[in-house]
Amino acid sequence: MDDIAGRIIENVSVCKGYYRCRIRLSKAMGKVDAGQFVMVKVPSSEVFLRRPFSILDCGNKVVTILYKVMGKGTDALARAARDDRVMVLGPLGKGFHLEKESKPILVAGGIGVAGIYLLWKRLRGRADVFFGCSTRKEVALLGDILRSHPHISTLDGSKGFKGSVVELLANHLSQSREHVAIYACGPAAMFASLKDRLRETGLPCQVLVEERMACGLGLCFGCVTKTTDDHEPYKRVCMEGPVFDLWQLSL
Amino acid sequence: MATLAIDLLGKRLRNPVFNASGTLGYGREIEPLWPIDTLGAYVTKGLSLKPHHGNPPPRIWEEGTGILNSIGLQNIGLERFFDECFPFFKKRKTPIIVNFFGFTDEEYIRCAEAIRPDPLIIALEINLSCPNVKKGGICMGKEAQGVFSIIKAVKAVTKIPLIAKLTPEVTDIVQIASAAVEAGVDGLTLLNTMPGAAIEVKSRRLAFRGGFSGPALKPIALKAVTDVSKAVSVPVIGSGGIMSCADALEYLMAGARAVQVGTATFVDPYAIPAIIEGLKAYLTTHRLPRTEALVGLARG
Repeated sequence: MDDIAGRIIENVSVCKGYYRCRIRLSKAMGKVDAGQFVMVKVPSSEVFLRRPFSILDCGNKVVTILYKVMGKGTDALARAARDDRVMVLGPLGKGFHLEKESKPILVAGGIGVAGIYLLWKRLRGRADVFFGCSTRKEVALLGDILRSHPHISTLDGSKGFKGSVVELLANHLSQSREHVAIYACGPAAMFASLKDRLRETGLPCQVLVEERMACGLGLCFGCVTKTTDDHEPYKRVCMEGPVFDLWQLSL
Repeated sequence: MATLAIDLLGKRLRNPVFNASGTLGYGREIEPLWPIDTLGAYVTKGLSLKPHHGNPPPRIWEEGTGILNSIGLQNIGLERFFDECFPFFKKRKTPIIVNFFGFTDEEYIRCAEAIRPDPLIIALEINLSCPNVKKGGICMGKEAQGVFSIIKAVKAVTKIPLIAKLTPEVTDIVQIASAAVEAGVDGLTLLNTMPGAAIEVKSRRLAFRGGFSGPALKPIALKAVTDVSKAVSVPVIGSGGIMSCADALEYLMAGARAVQVGTATFVDPYAIPAIIEGLKAYLTTHRLPRTEALVGLARG
């Protein structure tokens, strides 16, 4: 892990409100686990803190992130141009831990696809992907996952199953007898719904959690999420996470 | 050859740059980037007698060039700190300042009592910005009388030098500082975060309350350091919005013997080593033999 100077090679809109940014680094970042993230110093004097982004892809001194414009930081990043300088701190946090004996199922809600893409890529097609979003235009977020015929749900029914991705997943699981392990990334509401629908199955499920962050290094205890550990309920998303066992999260 | 070393509370420290409490985790978290021994002293996360869960998220709110935080003093408690974290420091050289807090006078006293002297521990730093639950939640450090009595009581139960970290939310900081000194405090850290709030226009709601930190605090804390270091005889440690070596120099010239860097580390994790290198270069360039030559220069 290190803080590495970089330059933006490409910062393009994938679909309305979502961008993919590729950054050339001045040195290699070291080994990256799927699910790890970077803290990026956005090239704008308006943005004080760094912003955390899942590592979508990396290799050969290039790191790629996929993001949704949510507020001041991502808005400024969306306006950054090719060749703009950024600082990239990473790789950070604990990524996914692969359960070797089980068939991997990857579940993403909206921009949550940024958290599971690298795992999908490393599994080389061995995983089933379930992706849910609001409307068909967001399906573009899947990028080359689309080639592997993912299960898609949209809330408005404009593409694939009409409804939530958790519903789609639950329908699938009820007809399957495979031994599966689930890896998910999405909004908190999706995790709550997953917990609810999967409760009876007791299936192993790891989720990549998002939270407001200041340092990304475990220094400030600003980015905690609540767990079922009564002695120490609040765990740092940047340090003990961002990947947690769904069954240990208090949602 | 210029030396950054300073004398503080009877100890010789490698340099005058510390982290501010709660901004460098339990210490080991920063070591993937730089050794903890880089610091003049490590200030612990605020510790209490019993573990403390802290506040539910969100705990961080970015506001202009600063942060509001509402961590809620989450910590693993004294016992676990000494069992699980202290051995890490025992294998290193950096001296430790143990920051501690309580929600009643009694909790402060019992906490200070429970910290056993150790060659590595050069001081306790008492956080006086906590709400006193037995006095309607009013902050401990806001009244000179309250500060005097708590310092007096804590001094009576510990042999370790005591530093008081003061809140900026007071009418007269010199009066508060003087009360602490009169009660026997050995040093002062100026200042803690400033209580603040954020409104979100879109949702028309009070979006956040917490302690404000960052560069906007610098002039406020610099004034406190200037006025207090002139008025009292104990060493003053400056803290508030130090982002660069130039900021640290301002604090030293204002009368601080050492500085604490907090929020800057979140923006640039190498801020502390960069400030130390900058100070070294400044001394060399200006042919100053040691840091102490700078202390209070601008105050007159």
